Amino acid sequence: MALAPAIETVALERRYGETLAVAGISLVVDQGEFFAILGPNGAGKTTLMHMLTTLITPSAGTAAVLGFDVVRQRAEVRKRLGMVFQDPALDERLNARENLEIHAVLYGIARSDRRAAIEKSLDWAALTEVAGRRVRSFSGGMKRRLELARALMHGPRVLFLDEPTIGLDPQGRRDLWDRIAAIREEGVTVLMTTHNLAEANACDRVAIVEKGKLIALGTPAELIAEHGGREDADLEDVFINLTGRQLRDEAATAREHIVSFSKRGGELTR
Amino acid sequence: MTVVATKTAAPSSAGVRSWAGFAPSVIWIMWKRELLRYGRDRSQLFGGLSRTILWLVVLGYGIGAALREIEGYTYAQYILPGVITLNVLFSSLQCAIALVWDREVGLLREVVISPSPMLSVALGKMLGGACIAVLQGTIPLLFSPLIGLHLTVWSVLGAWVVMFFMGILITAIGVLIATRLKTFEGFGSISNGVIQPLYFLSGSVFPLKGIIGGVGMLDIPDSIREELRRIGIYAIGGGWLVQLPAWLQILVYINPVSYLLDLLRYVLLDFQQLPLTADVLVTFALPVVAVVLAAAAMSRTLQHR
Repeated sequence: MALAPAIETVALERRYGETLAVAGISLVVDQGEFFAILGPNGAGKTTLMHMLTTLITPSAGTAAVLGFDVVRQRAEVRKRLGMVFQDPALDERLNARENLEIHAVLYGIARSDRRAAIEKSLDWAALTEVAGRRVRSFSGGMKRRLELARALMHGPRVLFLDEPTIGLDPQGRRDLWDRIAAIREEGVTVLMTTHNLAEANACDRVAIVEKGKLIALGTPAELIAEHGGREDADLEDVFINLTGRQLRDEAATAREHIVSFSKRGGELTR
Repeated sequence: MTVVATKTAAPSSAGVRSWAGFAPSVIWIMWKRELLRYGRDRSQLFGGLSRTILWLVVLGYGIGAALREIEGYTYAQYILPGVITLNVLFSSLQCAIALVWDREVGLLREVVISPSPMLSVALGKMLGGACIAVLQGTIPLLFSPLIGLHLTVWSVLGAWVVMFFMGILITAIGVLIATRLKTFEGFGSISNGVIQPLYFLSGSVFPLKGIIGGVGMLDIPDSIREELRRIGIYAIGGGWLVQLPAWLQILVYINPVSYLLDLLRYVLLDFQQLPLTADVLVTFALPVVAVVLAAAAMSRTLQHR
């Protein structure tokens, strides 16, 4: 029997009032693939990822993870996926071990196995020595490692990474990249969103998303050959040729306002 | 770099054990999270302490200098249950409103994406809020020797029970507000617009009706005092009859906190101004209703976006 695809979407749509954040995307990601969703901020990458991870419900179309429907079989999907959000989803007042303990309980890891699972994750993230320190004092790289270790704790078969390298220094990026490579060697499907062309270039296949639509899909080499237009073209040329513009940031979203408010030390945060 | 094989390392994930959305381990861990957070936040303890000193000690003795007694109690003793209520209001609402940022930039996204039932997440949160409320409400209680109030084991236990239910109720109300808030720049107005009215309109700082005076020469003879008490008028200093204006009375009567506070005062001071049956009913039934509504609202907004 053939393996169910890691991800399969058919005419997937998400509407926010009048705007279509995701406007009918159909794609298939095979198990074990390292897959990038490339596009500018506001292209619908995060919305797409949130539908696949059951955080938001599609307005139309279907999506399945490992053959399980994200709406009807939500619990089955959730058990099998790991997710790292764009910015840390950690409790910064708690220490690393406590954050991992919450995850262990939420994913139903048996009480007798919890301790070992937590220590293993800490070891994997190279955070054992600082496990008792509050996460608030961690660097961006340490938080990202902790989140990655946490997302892997329950043995997911599909790992979702939303802009995983944002806010990391070059060393942190390299470390993250090495870790992703190690995860892939174990056959875990990795799907990440990015607006970094070099990162997309390192993936098996790339889906270019713009204004909620899938405008190109293929290996980096295929995309460059098909849409590059010139001899020494790269993915940047592909993107410009397809959209007529460069990758750039769009307006801040409501949650970015909250992020910045809490970073300014707004009332009662964290 | 040590790479641990994720496939072989996958711990035995029996799945979250739950019955119709009740997962004891999930309730427990979310409760524990709230208490750990509370333990790490000195500012909350400091807030509880400074509120107690300002209200109970400064105001208690300040107003107390003019108001010699309220039905035999000093003013500080009279407002002690009110100060406890104030601490409960603050800590519960703070715990609940934290949902707004927790949902956007905190741990809650990680919680929402897990296979755990959100009903249990909501229950754990509200239980946590209630327990923090009991801890914060206990701060003024520690001052009772200072204001000459004698506590018994039973009055303390009783007060904790009322504080717990008050904490549940207010956390649930806060959760209902938080699920409707998009951003939280508005939190300041929430705390002023919710906490203060609930506090001031609960009979916390002034009695519902009484006789005021205190010049010393108008002390009420015991026989008249007895008769007044039977018709629900309490001696304050001894002198002129006062009664709150009707509109203010109505506001106090429709404020659910009034009944919980009245029961708290009954437990601590053996003095109450509202019908005891209403107190008991509101204290124990309303939180249950509020928790059901809040848990439903919370799991709805967390799940279906």
